Amino acid sequence: MNFKERMLTAMNHEEPDRVPVMGLIMDPATVDQVLGKNSTNVVKFLDKPVVGRAVQKLLDSNWFWDRMYFKNFSGALESATRLGFDANWAIYAFMQIYKGETNQKGAALNDVFGRVWTMGTDDRGNLSVDYSQALCPTEAAWEAWVEEKSALFDRVIRNATSFHQMLVDAHGDKIMPIGYAAPGIFENSWQAIGFVDFTKLVYENPQFIKRVVEFQTDFYLRYLEGVMQPGVEIVLGGDDLGQKTGPLMRPDLIEKLYGESYRRVADLVHSYGRKFVFHSCGKIYQFLDKFVDWGFDGIITMEPTADMDLGRVREQVGHKLVLIGNLDVSHLLVKGTRDEIDAAVKKAIQDAARGGGYILSAAHSHPYVDATRLQWMVESAHEHGRYPIRGS
Amino acid sequence: MSDDPRKKMKRCLLDLNRDALLDVVQAVVAEANPEAAQDAVDAIAEGLQIVGQRFQEGEWFLGELVYSGEIAKDAMERLSPLLKSGGAESEGKVVIGTVAGDLHDLGKSIFANYATSAGFEIVDLGVSVAVEDFVKAAREHQPIALGMSCLLTVSAGSVGKVLEELSRQGLREALKVIIGGAALTEEFAQEVGADAFAPDAVTGTDTIRAWSGE
Repeated sequence: MNFKERMLTAMNHEEPDRVPVMGLIMDPATVDQVLGKNSTNVVKFLDKPVVGRAVQKLLDSNWFWDRMYFKNFSGALESATRLGFDANWAIYAFMQIYKGETNQKGAALNDVFGRVWTMGTDDRGNLSVDYSQALCPTEAAWEAWVEEKSALFDRVIRNATSFHQMLVDAHGDKIMPIGYAAPGIFENSWQAIGFVDFTKLVYENPQFIKRVVEFQTDFYLRYLEGVMQPGVEIVLGGDDLGQKTGPLMRPDLIEKLYGESYRRVADLVHSYGRKFVFHSCGKIYQFLDKFVDWGFDGIITMEPTADMDLGRVREQVGHKLVLIGNLDVSHLLVKGTRDEIDAAVKKAIQDAARGGGYILSAAHSHPYVDATRLQWMVESAHEHGRYPIRGS
Repeated sequence: MSDDPRKKMKRCLLDLNRDALLDVVQAVVAEANPEAAQDAVDAIAEGLQIVGQRFQEGEWFLGELVYSGEIAKDAMERLSPLLKSGGAESEGKVVIGTVAGDLHDLGKSIFANYATSAGFEIVDLGVSVAVEDFVKAAREHQPIALGMSCLLTVSAGSVGKVLEELSRQGLREALKVIIGGAALTEEFAQEVGADAFAPDAVTGTDTIRAWSGE
């Protein structure tokens, strides 16, 4: 079987020749390690008087983001191919320099949805870009924002389509680029407003929240079509519904606010004959049955640090969902020994791979995930993941 | 239905009925009686304890925890001027921040929100807080506890650096340190010598409340 047949067989809950291996976002630091490159972190130039202004201008241009995302994820797909992965998740985002006041230190960007992202540098000099501020804490602010940015929403979709097209054209014969439509409807709703204000508005102005969710759903469906247009066969949707100890919001409230939206998402993807895989961080056992009900084909991540156990998930959902994950990135794929990684891969395969419907991957990605350890993960998967799966 | 305002306030809080709670609070405020105001504050505090229990038992979720905290804060703001002390007595001061290299805000903000509604005075240093800024704030505010949040595995090392610097400057013994966030665990807390690990805002607040009573 080739990589594509292997992935699609697993996605259909059938047994391929061996358990497929998939890469997550693949941080540029890990990509550099695989490719032997040394990328430049632009943040360190922002304080320089002349170069800083040039960098600011670059960060504010559509051209830069298109090029940067393609370069990063082309590198990620090349690295994933070299590591022996069958697929790798690619992500596109659209940013601009944020020119307003910010409550955080560091250079700030805003996205089209009304979030501020702060750019920083970690201990090792790696670039970090993290959500830090909501720009639309009130109904009036949100209405003004979406009106002002209406043309940009369409541009984001066009850019995402061409981004995925270029990746498919450049790498599609060697690895499956997994399309990514994100952030998702839940995150796009609350993060522009802020969690505290969003929660208040859910109770105090439900009609407004309903309008926000409808707007984000309509946008998201168009975005998904844009991502699928280049022939991406598996598309991932990302919405963090959980946190370390459980759901962010009551599952039946999520059902009430978002259930119909998620059903429309799954229906749309299926109408194109594609598969929809949902990413959520956190402890999300209470959503698993909803994922099945909403029509999702699979889930990715299942963070071990949020107490997500692959065997327990399989037991709960059986073969109603394809499971993709969940090797630890807090220790195992950062500093774990070869024996630890081998044992974890073996356990994951034993827990979830019988009958197909399982794809091995790291639980997440960050700059300290080590390429050598990813390589060990692949080698162990090839050793223990040949079907039929034996042992207990 | 009981007419006891104390029970009614607790029920309104647990029903997440802000308008109804503030109506009862308004009636108490109209009485201009410090004892009645103190009773109301106590009732809201009792309600928040139940909120915390429900959250920890998995019956309630972060959204409800946050919204009940907001409602409680609104009520407390109206009642505080009536109290004998001229304001609700603070449970103590807590300095918090997300460690250097980490820009995540949500977990810390939820803790700040809940702990404030539970009566603590929060000094929030923000995100990506440098080691020296934690130490400076500990010296300046002399809090009962210092809380560090860390979502990213890659920035977990900063927690140890703050603890080392607090010890080096002789501030550690008089200060309790609590840590929380997705990247951290109980084992990590023990490893770096923090006093406690909190998986959520309620546990964190309860832990600090126990310290404030020592």
